[in-house]
Amino acid sequence: MRKGSGLAVFVAAMLLAGVAVAKEHPGREDIERKGYQGPSTCGAQGCHPGTAKEFLDTVHWKHASPVPNVEGLEPGKEYGMKNRIYTMCNGNDIVNNLKEIFNPATGKTKFSGCNSCHPGNHISDVGSVGKEAENAIDCLICHASKYDFRLRIAYEDKTGRVVMGQDRSKEAALSVGRPDVKNCMVCHESAGGGVLIKRGFAYTKETDVHAKNGMVCVDCHASTNHRIPTGFDPNNWASDGLRVSCEDCHQGMPHKDGDLNRHVARIACQTCHIPRTGGAIAKDFTRWTQGADKFYEPTTLKKEANETTPVYAWYNKTVRNGPHFIGPKGSREEKGSRIYPFKIFEGKAFFDKKTGNLLAMDFAPPMATGDALAGVASAAKTLGIQEYEPVPGWQTIYFGSTHLVTKEKALTCFHCHSRNGVLNFRALGYTEKEEEKLTNASIYFDKLAEQQKEEW
Amino acid sequence: MRKALKVKVAAAMTVLILLLAGGVAMAEEMKMVGDVVKIEISGPDAKTAKATLKDTKTGELVVITVNDDLTLDKFKDHRIVVGDEIRCKYEVKDGKNVSKYFRKTAGC
Repeated sequence: MRKGSGLAVFVAAMLLAGVAVAKEHPGREDIERKGYQGPSTCGAQGCHPGTAKEFLDTVHWKHASPVPNVEGLEPGKEYGMKNRIYTMCNGNDIVNNLKEIFNPATGKTKFSGCNSCHPGNHISDVGSVGKEAENAIDCLICHASKYDFRLRIAYEDKTGRVVMGQDRSKEAALSVGRPDVKNCMVCHESAGGGVLIKRGFAYTKETDVHAKNGMVCVDCHASTNHRIPTGFDPNNWASDGLRVSCEDCHQGMPHKDGDLNRHVARIACQTCHIPRTGGAIAKDFTRWTQGADKFYEPTTLKKEANETTPVYAWYNKTVRNGPHFIGPKGSREEKGSRIYPFKIFEGKAFFDKKTGNLLAMDFAPPMATGDALAGVASAAKTLGIQEYEPVPGWQTIYFGSTHLVTKEKALTCFHCHSRNGVLNFRALGYTEKEEEKLTNASIYFDKLAEQQKEEW
Repeated sequence: MRKALKVKVAAAMTVLILLLAGGVAMAEEMKMVGDVVKIEISGPDAKTAKATLKDTKTGELVVITVNDDLTLDKFKDHRIVVGDEIRCKYEVKDGKNVSKYFRKTAGC
């Protein structure tokens, strides 16, 4: 990154943060007088007309979208956590719908389901449309800095429907603004079965240079009409059709060093600037472990943010998608491919011996009794699958590694161009002779010797 | 020969001391899983809080001092409340169990 552009980004972020703090929400007086009734309040007096309706067409509400870059999908069908299964999340919104789960060992119950993070009230659920759905949107969970999470709990109403509560208090409504890191992380940090399990990154000043510079999630993931841009993570399929990349800010020749700039054509920024990853490394949905509360969870091997190393592969932003592998497509020969780092994850679950496909799981039965096959049976019933033969098997998943960005600890010449370097040149398509040349200190010796002299 | 023996004994002693010191240092970091039974925090500007956890293995009540902003914020807006199960690491400093890691075990 050029020093000047870095400074400019920092100053811009600081100014934006300053504006966010200083600027008072124009609807404050109206909310103080009339209270907050939900999205209708936001749409009143011409403030945010049509916004609620617009939100219903986003990934955050639908949990699905067209997915043009993944192979093996049905054309015209939308995919996302609404209906996808893989071995980080063996259920989805459909088969593992939010419900109350009874534990026979204790007689206690708890509410659980994949759609517990959906910003509706569960009566109006994933992908619902119409006025009722518009009125069910929980605007404040993303926009309020003073949201009381004691109110965001699931409960059964008088008619037995499972409802997700919301904080629609005046106090919460008066604290609205641009989403802060907390607003995003409320849901995004606990995905996959616990804090920092799925993606394994913590967005803090200690772990990410952007956070250190005061930037918040939506500085990069800046929305347009509530459509939020995402990167090309091989395992994150749904998108609002907008994309974000490092180059949106760090354009052209981002380094002072010409040698580093030359790498940019074939090496993604993340490869050098995200040298570590974290989170779950493996999970077993066929074997559930009983916790202290006597409920069961899939057995999971967990690591901290920055505790594991990534795997490197060519990636052309299209995805190989098979029952036992979800990961990047691309090659050295393909000009559109670059080398990216990935968090590698392995998951064990049940596959259908007849079709070879991964089977979905409703978590309620195994959560209550540890019986994983009962979860498969329940999901099959929901999906109308009558015949299947479950056999355990493994799936490898490459997750995009796009956070935990560092400037100080970025990889430099010898981290890759040495015999014990992080890149496996042979696996990346280089010949033995090329590898020998690429892992020799002669490539950078004079340059680093000079740098060393300057540093000391 | 005698000198060599002395060097070996000194090296062995050094290794032993280092191992013992390491053991002591490791013993200071405690780990536990427990349910929150009480949270004491003095208002929205509080810079510290006390959370009492009931150890799920022993049933013992352990009072944890929490100073990190992220966890304090979760107490303030009630993302962590009484009844939540917590995975906690703490160090004993000046008679206090100071949190180094305080996370809910649950996710989605």
